[in-house]
Amino acid sequence: MTAWNAVVGIVARDLARTTRQTSRLLGGLARPFMWLLLVGTGYNAIARVESGVPYHAFVFPGIVVMAALFGAMLTAIATVYDREFGMLRLMLASPAGVPAVLAGRAIAAGLVGLAQGAIVLACAPLLVPVTPARLAAALGALVLAAASSALLGLLVASRLRSVENFAGVINVVLFPLLFVSGALYPTAGMPPILRLLAAANPVTYQVDLMRHAFGQAAEFEVGQDVLLLLGTTAVAFGLTVLLFDPEQRFLGRADGGERRPDGRVGGRGGPPDGPAVDALDG
Amino acid sequence: MSATPPAIVTEGLGRDYGGVRALDALDLVVPMGALVGLLGPNGAGKTTAMLLLATLLRPTRGGARVLGHDVVRARGPVRRRLGLVFQETSVDGLLTVEENLRFAARLAGLGGPEMRAAVSMAIERAGLGSRARQPARRLSGGWRRLLDIARATLHRPPLLILDEPTVGLDPEHRELIWTILAAERRERGVTILFSTHYLTEAESADRVVLLSQGRVVADDDPSALRASIGAEVAEIEGPGAERLVRALRGLGATATVLRTERGYRVGIARDREAVIELATVAAGIERLLLRPASLEDVYFARTRGEAA
Repeated sequence: MTAWNAVVGIVARDLARTTRQTSRLLGGLARPFMWLLLVGTGYNAIARVESGVPYHAFVFPGIVVMAALFGAMLTAIATVYDREFGMLRLMLASPAGVPAVLAGRAIAAGLVGLAQGAIVLACAPLLVPVTPARLAAALGALVLAAASSALLGLLVASRLRSVENFAGVINVVLFPLLFVSGALYPTAGMPPILRLLAAANPVTYQVDLMRHAFGQAAEFEVGQDVLLLLGTTAVAFGLTVLLFDPEQRFLGRADGGERRPDGRVGGRGGPPDGPAVDALDG
Repeated sequence: MSATPPAIVTEGLGRDYGGVRALDALDLVVPMGALVGLLGPNGAGKTTAMLLLATLLRPTRGGARVLGHDVVRARGPVRRRLGLVFQETSVDGLLTVEENLRFAARLAGLGGPEMRAAVSMAIERAGLGSRARQPARRLSGGWRRLLDIARATLHRPPLLILDEPTVGLDPEHRELIWTILAAERRERGVTILFSTHYLTEAESADRVVLLSQGRVVADDDPSALRASIGAEVAEIEGPGAERLVRALRGLGATATVLRTERGYRVGIARDREAVIELATVAAGIERLLLRPASLEDVYFARTRGEAA
């Protein structure tokens, strides 16, 4: 019961924070629509997809996944803010233990990703042919995409030392995951090395499953996608628990090449009231 | 009939950070219900000791039992019965005061009506009633710290570990915090281990443990500590101060000697009258002040002074 209450507390806090960071929330929602409008509409005039679907319809499943991916991963990676500004130590000091803390963060991040993806998904009737069954299947695919993205984000956060690395993570982790996934162009046309990377990229299977849901041509079997995403989620959680070093928050950080035993990073203070993630958020 | 077991027992408790020995070997016994102050300069090992006792760091050597539980093998039971205030505030500015406390209550394992009752009682005890619905970012530093205290005490733990709970606060908020802590002791017999740089706060402790460079350099009740450096302290200034101190040492009248910016601070062990007589006739003494010893004298004598 202790662990469950802690998980509920962490999820409730993260969701409350998300809804109160208006600029971040609006930015997260605007991003997929801007891609749909700018990339989808623009490329629609020049790009021709082999399967014959218009480009904006081809790119739509990828944009739904993108909304979930960014929403979930950025929320999960924001753990690094809690690490730096003191709230994580409060969670780590609870009797619930590290797995419960990480599960709470993962569930909250997954729910944020799911909500952002669902808002884009609600626009499906405007862009792609849908039936209730297809929408239900897309929702299922979205749940898996959000869950696996949240865990991948948590895995990244487990080794991230400070908030200064946040923008780098977006450029070095998030964009490559998206671009090498078949979300924006088919993987079949990629050079062999990128195809290999795409096969190793969990987001590829999120997009592929979403294409299945919308009845588009896909590269892998549904079962293969589902198993890979469930496996990714489980393995990422296990790795995060293993790699997450709860003492790290209390050891301070390298400061001029020397650890500060009192754990202080700088001046006295609490967590940021509205983290700088707003400014860096993709 | 067995006596009440101590709240905290440590044996040779130590922690290294890489090659840095932050805490050497802490031997400490804190009786149940006691108020114990942990003093020492920055970097002395106070925070490390508290984090080890709170099970948030693993010891490099030695061991500790908190409320009868081993801090390495039984971290869950220790954390359930412990209220912790960190050196820096742990308040989420985007949440309201009440939401911050609900979050903390759930982390402590409370839920449902039990959680709601604990939160409303904590708000009342800390005098946060009129601010309960305010976003915590609008609180002043003092009220944020009071929110920290309310958070640490809301699940009614028998032991509080408070790392500089009043640092940077105005006298009004410091008093409010000590009033809440006094009520916790009076009403529930709570054991409190706290660190501070305000030595007057340590005067009211049952015990003061003084750390320096990761080692315990003094451990006793405040009056015994004061007595250990002499009943009185002589502040001696002027060009003849060094000669007078040498003479006092020769008399065997000094307990401790501390060099200060302008002269010496000497703990007088005995022969008060002889000291006064000698100082009166000594040449080059611009100022001689004899006054009762304070914890500040103990602090400087034990961390920077030399034995007489």
